[in-house]
Order: sequence, then structure tokens, then C-alpha cells
Amino acid sequence: MANLAKAKNGSDRNRTFMMILIPVLVIFCAFNTVPLITGFLYSFTDSKGYGAFNIIGLQNYMDLFSDARVLNSYLFTFKVAVVATLGTNIISLILAMGLSSKIKFKSALRGLYFVPRILGALVVGYVFSYFFTYIVPAITGTESILASTEWAWVAIVIVLVWQACAQTTIIYLTGLSSVPEDVYEAAALDGATGWNKFRYITFPLIMPSVTTNMVLVMKDMLMVFDQIVSMTSGGPAQSTESISYLIYNNGLAGGQFGYQCANAVIFFILIAAVSILQTKFLNSKEEQL
Amino acid sequence: MAGLSLEHIGKKYPNGYEGVKDFNLEIADKEFIIFVGPSGCGKSTTLRMIAGLEDITSGTLKIDGKVVNDVEPKDRDIAMVFQNYALYPHMTVYDNMAFPMKLRKAPKDQIDKAVREAARILDLEKLLDRKPSALSGGQRQRVAMGRAIVRAPKVYLMDEPLSNLDAKLRVQMRAEISKLHDRLGATIIYVTHDQTEAMTLGTRIVVMKDGVMQQVDTPSKLYAEPCNLFVAGFIGSPQMNFIDATVGEKGGKTTLSFGKNTITVPEAKAAALKPYQGKVVVAGIRPEDVVESNEYAEGRRLSEPIDAAVTVYELLGSEAMVYADVDGGSVSSHVSAANPARSGSRIEVAFDVDKLHVFDKQTELAIVH
Repeated sequence: MANLAKAKNGSDRNRTFMMILIPVLVIFCAFNTVPLITGFLYSFTDSKGYGAFNIIGLQNYMDLFSDARVLNSYLFTFKVAVVATLGTNIISLILAMGLSSKIKFKSALRGLYFVPRILGALVVGYVFSYFFTYIVPAITGTESILASTEWAWVAIVIVLVWQACAQTTIIYLTGLSSVPEDVYEAAALDGATGWNKFRYITFPLIMPSVTTNMVLVMKDMLMVFDQIVSMTSGGPAQSTESISYLIYNNGLAGGQFGYQCANAVIFFILIAAVSILQTKFLNSKEEQL
Repeated sequence: MAGLSLEHIGKKYPNGYEGVKDFNLEIADKEFIIFVGPSGCGKSTTLRMIAGLEDITSGTLKIDGKVVNDVEPKDRDIAMVFQNYALYPHMTVYDNMAFPMKLRKAPKDQIDKAVREAARILDLEKLLDRKPSALSGGQRQRVAMGRAIVRAPKVYLMDEPLSNLDAKLRVQMRAEISKLHDRLGATIIYVTHDQTEAMTLGTRIVVMKDGVMQQVDTPSKLYAEPCNLFVAGFIGSPQMNFIDATVGEKGGKTTLSFGKNTITVPEAKAAALKPYQGKVVVAGIRPEDVVESNEYAEGRRLSEPIDAAVTVYELLGSEAMVYADVDGGSVSSHVSAANPARSGSRIEVAFDVDKLHVFDKQTELAIVH
């Protein structure tokens, strides 16, 4: 009897779990997995996104590698992602160290630095667009860098870093707070101060946070989209066309649905590969604590 | 190695709380000084001020004759062993011990020699390649010691270094530290709340309470002549018996009365009690100086017998502890394991009057030992 009751209890509980899980699973599949597979299938077609299409095998993939516009978008995206990831991490780490030291208004400042995280990327993009188009030129007397094919990417990086620092700083703050105070005290007695303290004690001990932040920020930066839409629309002269933006723009509005699906598949594989490589490399630097 | 001098050292926090008040102490070279007291008494704060981890808000601290109040911790030439060891979790045992020398840019071969020598002394040779996470508590403790030894500093500071170890290991490490002190000929300042550690390790003990130094003396002197009620109660385990008693006179001799009991105070102690005639004082007597009728009486000058009702009997092995109610108070006493006293039985005890302590009830200071 006891066993029976247990079994019945168990199946009741299972049913509850299922009732929670299944709707989520269905929604996830409907909006994520199915489009992923459909997109993958479309990448072998010449679909324009509407009407009839033909299956053309690997033609899209072969064309991608000789398409200058696609190659440029990859170069632009990786350049922005690498610079913005490094910038975000360096600035966030400095901010986090400042915010974890004994300063006045610590809580208020922590709150303030988190504000960019709760603003929508599009809103931020439009605000900065206004800033770079009207305010900065008015002060410096030069033309807007958003109009420069050479420097527009820097404006994008600035906005990306400004917004990404919020969450990255929080993760570094958590990492810093996990280092025991007496380890710092022992280091102070052993003679580690200033740069030595950071190099030998702080940095190695927050390496897990560094890995997390590097991978997360890099992934986000590679997928840069909102800032492009709101600030440059890929211009001037396609100089700030990110991969996501190109896929969206040409895929949905430019009649290259099948072709950009192939681009998306390649992009997906690339991001996965970069994340895995990063994790592997950084994990090897992480100390087993 | 070096001596230390603490002159009127005080620690006042921004909120006005005084952690340490007017602390004065001269520590000679090669001394093993113990700071002991209950938690919150300011012993660790004093140690951390010596280390430079806390600011000294008043007074002067000298190491080797040089004022170091504003000298950086790293430049004070001291090493500290922390309660939680504070090992660098990302470094091997070897690197943990080599770290202070590495930062001082010592030559590699010199570092290697010093680390291996320390490892040999502390029996860590087989563990040099391990990370702290792969070590037991006792091993980590030894690495922390090693990190201190390697630098051969002027002064060693130890902040409750054994309190995270289990009882058996603690006894073992206590002996190790004692040996280490002899071997290194080092000046050691050691903080503990464990009075057994204090008694066994120290050449001198500083007893603290509420930020105030109570007494500084050798372990034996501290035990035999505690300066006040707090020290008398804190040093010694089980603690000293205290009984409120009235000073009186009987047949020309000074007496102490509690309940219907009256004991005669020996001549040597009587003079000091003269001003207290008719007043209530606190009589203190250690459990080993409360003897049961015929036991342990030889060579002692005993008081009048006191009738006692045993409430608790604890067999410790070779001996037993008896807790008993007497008229006017209660006492604990060491009895032999063979003693038939048990809970509920009545016994007769007597005090070794030569070992009697008397304290002023108001000021709590010792009147006579």
C-alpha cells in the first residue's frame, strides 16, 4: 500500500512537472527550433521570402564566400565585437574595482551604473545618434562621425560598450566580492600592493568572472543589430553593416531570403565555434580554486 | 628578530566605539606573548594594529625601536598567520610560500632554499605541488606557518591559528608551534580565546576584557596571583570557585563567613583584610584546592570542614570533578576517581587556606592571594 501511495504521489508530481514544462517546450519549439530548422532548409533554396522557389543545393553557400558585401559585414562585425568586448571588460573591471572599494554613496553609484542595462537598445541608439549628429559636432566643429565611413564604427563601439558595461560590471562585482578579505590582508603583509596585488591575487581569483564576461559579451557584440538600425542603418556606404543587420535587411526586405538563411547558418556556426573556443581557452587559464 | 613597544595604543572607531583603550606593553626579543580574552575584548584588533591592517588611532607602536604607526604592513617586517589561513587558493603550496620572497625580488635559488627548508621543518615536502584545496585543515595550517617562516621576519603574529582545527590536531599543532618558537628563536604574538593554549604556549600572557588590558604576567604567576575577579575566573579550567563571604573575627583571628560556615584566614593574609572587617568580600578558591575530607590533605593547611551536598559528579578518568552546594554558595572540587562521592550524596570538604584568594566585591580587585 505504501509503495502504491508513493507511486501515485510520484506520478502526481510528474504530471505537475509536465504541465509546467510542456507549454514552455511547445512555445520554444514553435518560435525557436522550428524557424531554425525551416531557415536551414530554406538556405538550400533561392526563395525570396514569398512565392515559388527552387532547390539549388549548396549554391547559396558557395556564393557567400565570394560576396564582397557579406565579407565586409563579417570583417566589420568581428572588428566591432573584438574591440567592444575588450573595451567593455576592461572598463567594467575598473568600474567594479572602484565600486567595491570603500567609497561614499556606493549603493547609489552601483544603481546608477546599472541604468544603461534597463534601457532599450533602440532608445539608447537613437539618443546617441542625436548626440553624435548634433551635439558633438556643435562642440567640436567637425562633421558627425556617423557620417564618416572611416569612423562610424567607433561610434557604434562607444554605444555598445556604454550599454554592455552595466551587466558586465555587476558580474565582476560579484566575482570581486567572492575573494576573501583575509587573502588580501595576507597579500598586503607579503608585499603585494597596487599592480602586483591585481596581477597576482585579484585577477587570477576572478578569472571565472572574466571567462563568463568574455563569452557573454562577445556573443552579444557579434549579434549587434539594434544600434546599427538606430544609428547608421548600415551606412555610410554600407561601412557599418553588421551580419545580423545584413541578414535582416537583405533577407526580409531585399528578396534574398534563401541566400541570407545560408548566411545565418554560417553565422550561427561561427558564434558557437567562437564561444566554445573562448570557453576552452579561458577555462585553461582559470585556477581550480 | 626584534622587540616591540606599544605605548598608550588605542583604537577608536568613527562611530565612537573604543575597541582598545590605552594599551601599554613592552615585548622583549624572542618572547612568546599571548593575547587572551573573550570575543570582542580587542585582542585581535590590537594584533591587527601591530600588523598594520588597522589604523592606530592613538599611541605609538615601535618595532625594534622604530616608530611604525604609519609604515605600510609590508614594510614592517612582520608575518601573520590568519585564523582561516588566508592561503592563495590559485597557487601551489610552493608558490604560496615563495610568494612573499618573490615580491621582494629575492634570487630564485635563495627562494628555493628557503621554501624547501621551511617545508622540511613543517613536514610539507611531499605537498609542495598541491593547491590548498587539496589539503586538510592541519596541512593548510602548516602551509600558512610556512609562508610566515620563509621570510624570516622580525615578528610573527598569529591570530587564533588553531581555532579551526579539531581537538586532537590542535593539541598536536600546539606542540609544533612551541617547538617552532624554540627553534626559530622568534618573537611571537599570539591571539587566542583558549586559555589552555595561552597557558601552555606563552612566556607571558596579556589578559584583555572590553578593550582594556587586565593583567600581564607569566602563566604561573597569572594562575597563582590573578589581579582581579575577571582574570581569576578566566584563567584556569574548571574555573575558580567564588563565594561571597563576610570578614569577621573570632578569638583574635580573622575569619570569613558564608552561610553557617566560618573559615579561619591564615596570619599571612589576615593583615590585608583588616580594613574589610564586617564587609562582604569575594573569596576565591580553585577546585584543586577544595579537598574532600581525607584526600589530598597531606602538606596542606586546611580550613574548618564544610558540609556539602553533591549535585553533579563527573568522572574524568584518573580524577573526578564534584560540584556541590554548601551553605552560602556552591563549590567544585577535584576528588580522586576512587572517591565514593556521587550526585545526591553528602560530603565534607575543606579549603586549602594558603591558596585562598580574596577580592574586593566593589572594585573586583584582588585584596590578597
